Amino acid sequence: MRLGVVKAYILKEFAELFRTRLIVMVYLMPTMIMLLFGFGIRMNVTHARVTILDYDQSHYSRVLTSKFEDSKYFDPMVLQITEQEALRLIKQAKTEMILIIPSSFEKHLLHGQKSEIGLFIDASFPTRATTMENYVQGVILQAASEVSPQKPQSGMISINSRNLFNEAMRDENAIVPGLIGLVLLVAPAILSALLIVKEKERGTIFNFYASPIRKHEFLLAKLTPAFLLHSVNIFILFLWATWLFDVPFRGSFMLYWFSSEIYILISLGIGMLISVITRSQIAAVVLTVIVTLLPGFLYSGIILPISAMDHESYIEAHLFPVMYFNHIIYDTFLIGEGLSAATNRLYLGILVVYAVILLVLGTLFLKKELK
Amino acid sequence: MRIFWTIVAKELISFMRSWGLLAVVLYSFTLDVYIAGAGMQIKPRNVAVGYVDETGGGISQKILSHLHGPEFVQPKRFLSQKALSEAIFNKKILVGILFDRDFEKDYREGREAVMNVLLDATAASQSFTTLGYLQNIVMDFNKVDFPVALKAHKLFNQNADNHTFMALSEMLSIITMLSILLPAMVFVREKEEGTWDIMLLMPIDTKVTILAKSFSQVLIIFAGTVICTGFVLFGSFDMPMNGSFWAFLLLTFFYIFTSAGIGLFVASVSKSILQVAQLSMIIMMPMIFLSGAWTPIHAMHPVLEKLSLISPLRYYIEGCESIFYRGTQWSDLWPYFTGVILLGSVLYWYGFRKIGKLF
Repeated sequence: MRLGVVKAYILKEFAELFRTRLIVMVYLMPTMIMLLFGFGIRMNVTHARVTILDYDQSHYSRVLTSKFEDSKYFDPMVLQITEQEALRLIKQAKTEMILIIPSSFEKHLLHGQKSEIGLFIDASFPTRATTMENYVQGVILQAASEVSPQKPQSGMISINSRNLFNEAMRDENAIVPGLIGLVLLVAPAILSALLIVKEKERGTIFNFYASPIRKHEFLLAKLTPAFLLHSVNIFILFLWATWLFDVPFRGSFMLYWFSSEIYILISLGIGMLISVITRSQIAAVVLTVIVTLLPGFLYSGIILPISAMDHESYIEAHLFPVMYFNHIIYDTFLIGEGLSAATNRLYLGILVVYAVILLVLGTLFLKKELK
Repeated sequence: MRIFWTIVAKELISFMRSWGLLAVVLYSFTLDVYIAGAGMQIKPRNVAVGYVDETGGGISQKILSHLHGPEFVQPKRFLSQKALSEAIFNKKILVGILFDRDFEKDYREGREAVMNVLLDATAASQSFTTLGYLQNIVMDFNKVDFPVALKAHKLFNQNADNHTFMALSEMLSIITMLSILLPAMVFVREKEEGTWDIMLLMPIDTKVTILAKSFSQVLIIFAGTVICTGFVLFGSFDMPMNGSFWAFLLLTFFYIFTSAGIGLFVASVSKSILQVAQLSMIIMMPMIFLSGAWTPIHAMHPVLEKLSLISPLRYYIEGCESIFYRGTQWSDLWPYFTGVILLGSVLYWYGFRKIGKLF
C-alpha cells in the first residue's frame, strides 16, 4: 500500500465529485427519501371514505351513523342512493366502503331479533381493506355494547393490552428507523456503482489499467470519498428522525453510529460488485435500484415483520443485510437493549462478515486488464 | 413518415445490440415483478404468539386453541414473564399473553378476569389484527349476544390476496422507471457525443425526430409490459380482469408516452448521462412512492396530496386498479386518460422547445 498514490487518487475523486455535482445527489437523495416516505407512508388507516346507505332513518340507525362521524378513522357520507349507484361510486374510486343499514333495523332491534348490517369493501387495496373491516367491526361492536342493556351472567374476560416500544402507536416511530436502513442501502450503492462504471464508459478506466496502481489501492481510493461523504448522512438522518419526526432514541448512539458505518461499507460493496458486472452507467443505475430498493423496502420489517413471513421470503430476508441492520436500528431507537442482547451482537457480527465478504469479492472480480 | 420509421428502426436496433441493457429490461419485467408478487403477503400470517400460563390450564388453553394456522404459529409457552419479554425484545415473538394466577379463579367465580396482552407495536398491523382476533375469541367466551351482526364482503378481491396487488404495483413502478430512464438516455447519449447537433441541422422536422426517438423506447417498454402482463400477472398470479383489457393497453400506451416526456424533460436539462441518472432518481422516487400504491393519496400529508396531482403515475395506478379490479366501464375512466394525456402534452411542448432547437 503506497499511501502517497492513494492520497493523490482520493483527492482526484473528491475533486471530480464536486465538479460533476454528484455531491448534491449524495446529500439530497437520502434526505429526500426520508422526508417523502416519512410524511407519505401511513400504515394506519385514517380518513377511510365510507358511504352509509341508511334505509332505516330511525333513532338507532342515526346513533350508529354518528359513531362513524365521531371516529377519526372515517370520513363518512350518508347518502340516499340505490346500491347500484353506490357501487358505481366505488368503481369510480370515489368511496372505499359501502355500509348498508337495512330498513327494518330498529324494528328488529326492539324485538330482540338479530339484524344484519351489510358492508362492501373495495379490496383492490387488500391490506387496507382488511384493516378497514376490522375498524368497522370495532365501531359497530362499540355502538352495540353501548345500546344493548343486557349484562353478562357469568364471569367476564377482559383484555388488558399494552403496546411495547411504541406506546402511542405513532406511525413515525414504526417507519422512520426502518427508512434509515433503506436509505443507507440505496444511496451509497448507487454512488459507488457510478464511480467505476463512469470510468468504464468514458474509457478513462484505461488509465487504471495502464498505471502501476494496484487493485486494492484503486478500490480504496474509489470508495474512501464515498464512504466519508455518506458517513455524514448518518448524522443527518439521525437528526431528521429525532428532531423532525420526533422518534425517541433509547439506545446507545455509538452502536447506531458504528453499525451504520459497517452498513455503508456493505452498500458500497454491493455498488462495487454491480459496477464490475455492468458496462454502462444507465444499466448500473437500473440494476442498483432494483437490487437494493425493492429488497430494502420489502425486507426492512417496515411493512411486515420478518418472523411473520412465508417460507421463501423468510429465507430471502435472511440473505439481505437490511434485516440485520434494521434489527439493530429499531433496537437503538425504540428498545434500547444495545449490545447486552445476544441477537444484537450476533447481527452486528453478521454485518461485519457481510461487509468483508463483499469487499473481498469486489477486489477479486475487478479486472486490471482487457479481456 | 418514412423518416419516422427509419429513426425508430435505428433506435430499436441499437437497443438490441446493447445486450446488457436488454437483459436488465427483461429481468425487470419478468423475475423482478415475480419476486415482488410472490414474496409478500402482508396479511398477518405465522404470527408468533408466546404465553405465560400460571393458571394450570383450562380456560387459558381453550382460548389459546383458537389461535391456529395459517394466521398463527402454535403458541409457544414461556415459564416466566421475564423470558417472554426477552423473546419479544428479540423479535422472536410478536404477541405475548399473560394469564396470571387469579385468571381462572376470577372467571369461575364470576368476577372480571383480566388477560394481559403485550404487543410488539413496531409491527403495528399484525399486532392489531391479533388483538382483534383475541377480542373476538373472548367475546365468544363471554357469551354476550349482540343484536347486530356485520356481514362484510370484500369486492373485487374476496380473499384480500396481496400477490396480484404487489405484482401490479411493482410492474407499474418498473414501467415508470424504465420509461423515464431509457428515453432520457437515448437523447443524452447523442448530446454527449455531439451527434444531436447534427440531427438538428439535418433537413428533418425536429419534432419528427424527437417523437420517433421517444416512440422507439415507448415500443420497447410497451412490449415489456405486454410480456409482463401475460406471463407474470396472468400466468403466475391469478390476476383478475374485471374491466376491458384494451382500456388497459391504451392507458398504458399513453402513460408510457407521458413518462417518456418526463425523460425528454430530464434529457433537455442535463448534459451528461451522470446527470440524467441523478435527476431521474430525484423525479422517480417521489413519483413511485407517492403514487398511491403504498398509501392511498387521500390519506397522505395534504402538501404531498396536492403535489401528487402533477404525477402522471397517480392517474395511471388508480386507472389500472380500476380496470383490473373494480371493472370500471370506459365512460368512468376519462379522468385517468385526461390526467395522463394532459401532463404528457405539457411535457412534450416543453421538450420540443427546449431540446428541439439548436439556438
